[in-house]
Amino acid sequence: MNETQSGEAQSSENLDRTPVEDADVCVVGAGPAGALLSYSLAKRGHDVVILEAGPRFDMEHRVDRMKLQIHPDRGVNEVWDMGGERDAYSMSGEQDWPLNKRRVKGVGGTSLHWGSVTPRLREKDFEMESRFGVGKDWPISYEDLQPYYARAEQEVGIAGPDNAPHQPPREEGYPMDPLPNSASDDLFAEAAEALDIDVQSMPMAINTGKYDRNQCQGYGTCEHVCPSGAKYTAEVHVEKAEAEGATVLTQTPVQRFEHGPDGEEVTGAVYKTPDGNTHTQEADVFVAAAGAFETPRLLLLSESDQYPDGLANSSGTVGRYFMQHEGALVIGIVPNQETYQGAYGPVVSSGIQQFYEGTAERGGANIMLLNTSDPSLAERAIDSSGFGDDLLETVNLYGNSIGTLNSVEMLPREDNRITLDRSKTDNHGNPVPDVQVEAGEFSEKGTEKAIQVGKDLIEEMGGNVAFVQGTTTDSDEFIEDIKGGYHPMGGTRMGTDPDDSVVDPNLQTHDLDNLYISGGGVFVTGGAANPTLTIMALSLKAADNIHGSLAG
Amino acid sequence: MPIELTRRDALSALTAAGITSTAGCAGFSDRTADASPMETLVGVADVLYPSEVEVTEEFIETFMFGRITDKEVYRERLTAGIETLNELATNEFGSAFLGLAPDERVSLFEETALRSGDSVHDGGDIEQVNYHILDELLFAFYASPKGGELVGNPNPRGFPGGFGYNPGVTQ
Repeated sequence: MNETQSGEAQSSENLDRTPVEDADVCVVGAGPAGALLSYSLAKRGHDVVILEAGPRFDMEHRVDRMKLQIHPDRGVNEVWDMGGERDAYSMSGEQDWPLNKRRVKGVGGTSLHWGSVTPRLREKDFEMESRFGVGKDWPISYEDLQPYYARAEQEVGIAGPDNAPHQPPREEGYPMDPLPNSASDDLFAEAAEALDIDVQSMPMAINTGKYDRNQCQGYGTCEHVCPSGAKYTAEVHVEKAEAEGATVLTQTPVQRFEHGPDGEEVTGAVYKTPDGNTHTQEADVFVAAAGAFETPRLLLLSESDQYPDGLANSSGTVGRYFMQHEGALVIGIVPNQETYQGAYGPVVSSGIQQFYEGTAERGGANIMLLNTSDPSLAERAIDSSGFGDDLLETVNLYGNSIGTLNSVEMLPREDNRITLDRSKTDNHGNPVPDVQVEAGEFSEKGTEKAIQVGKDLIEEMGGNVAFVQGTTTDSDEFIEDIKGGYHPMGGTRMGTDPDDSVVDPNLQTHDLDNLYISGGGVFVTGGAANPTLTIMALSLKAADNIHGSLAG
Repeated sequence: MPIELTRRDALSALTAAGITSTAGCAGFSDRTADASPMETLVGVADVLYPSEVEVTEEFIETFMFGRITDKEVYRERLTAGIETLNELATNEFGSAFLGLAPDERVSLFEETALRSGDSVHDGGDIEQVNYHILDELLFAFYASPKGGELVGNPNPRGFPGGFGYNPGVTQ
């Protein structure tokens, strides 16, 4: 037993981690890209096995993890035990991201620490080349994905506005009413009205009572820990999949895929176990759902004599056209105005979608209005060296802050890519992923626009802009929260042409009949919407196709 | 008039947190011939918390220990931390912490690395006191409605006081 930072013990010895016999589907990764897909297949009678590199975290220690988040001296990576040799990586490009503060390995994956903001992509996001002459069109349209969005929203439990402006067409209402406005939402709305800007409720994967998990209790720490379990994590559908007969093998990092002699099918996923053994999981179908950083790495690590450039890479595009959403943060102080930051609970409840469309020259922006724009009271208290009345005076200096956090579209570029860094290895001797990213003018202009909107709103409410960071900030000056890596997309993109894409519109790889990729990696362009809902919708589409192929 | 931190405050927090039992905490308030760890914690909290707050055992027992999961592990850290505190107090003023006058307790904080030094989970003796005792006490208070109310926020982050708090804003 190893005690982790949270005090939660991880048992390494007692679980049976031998391969499942006669598995129909082997899913690599127990995050949002794998969980709903696994459940969808398991409930239709398929034998599913999920191989997860990380552990299963218990609910009992979520409060401890939340306290790690609040403690000023503990890193975000410590909250979910990320880091060390297992999670080693390189960043050799222009941007330097703290990758292990942006992802989680374990049952639930990165949804364990996400903020749970769940907008859909817009119609234009699938047609950037046709409409604006930039990027590339997806091989599917918004309409193709729309029914899967609806299913994903129902499964996950989204609280959102049915009739808000600047949203794509909806076929039915959200499963839950939107979250109520926060105090800062009201302040933004009042200022926005004077500027002809629409403030609207943000779709959030937070249970307000209708779903069979705890209701939101207002810890105010959803990013990066929800101790109550009201925030959706992919644990929900991993557990549902298990209830339908799926098997989850934790702490079983997949090292490579093996293929048959003709190179047309994957025959096994080779994985390690904590006791040092190596096993091979066989199945009829394999789904790589290990996240947009690790999935291309896994394909590249699966190189063979037949596929010297890696598996599913006959196009040479594995790892290429990698994207993120450029972030921008605007914080202001509104004198004599209590803004009740942190008191509300969810980190975001409203946003501005009016500038989502963008232009041919400027990326669209998804502007999120923060309910937690200053450090928590307990964090401020612990971080100070004072005590008694002096400490109270110090922590009470806050209370008037307000802010926006922006997610801005970046165009796909061939040279923004994930490769293997063969000079550095993980705890199993495998080369680590190397991420090379440059923002580009399109997203720089988008962040400038988003920042200007935030500044205008804060000044309209009588506030002073106190802090601004975005793509025009020197990357050395970025505070950690704004360094990139939150929304990784691309790298195994979707397309109809096997010469310039990795998977087809059903997420099946062009090169191998029984290998699918589920995750943000298949995005052709990234839009400005937080990607997880789209990842889940696409995974349901893939699951339907896998079901069809297995039934056939 | 001092603000007393009562068991009711603590229980309201625990109810909201879905924690229905405080079993396992009782041992911390057992009084023996020697000072109990709880008495020392109350004494430390008196220094840490604002002067208008009257600290009670019940508050610490429930608010702090109610949010500690591995109580046995914590008990060992607490014992070691109190030993460090008492050593510091003895070196500075010739008595264990509880034997110090109120102004001596404040001086102890001012003249040593308590609070001003690093706070490290598995660090040196004082660093561990900072992390496991002082920071826990500060979390207990400033992530509670009592601490929050002193700065106008009855539902500070880290406290499960229900969601959707919006008192309405008027500019």
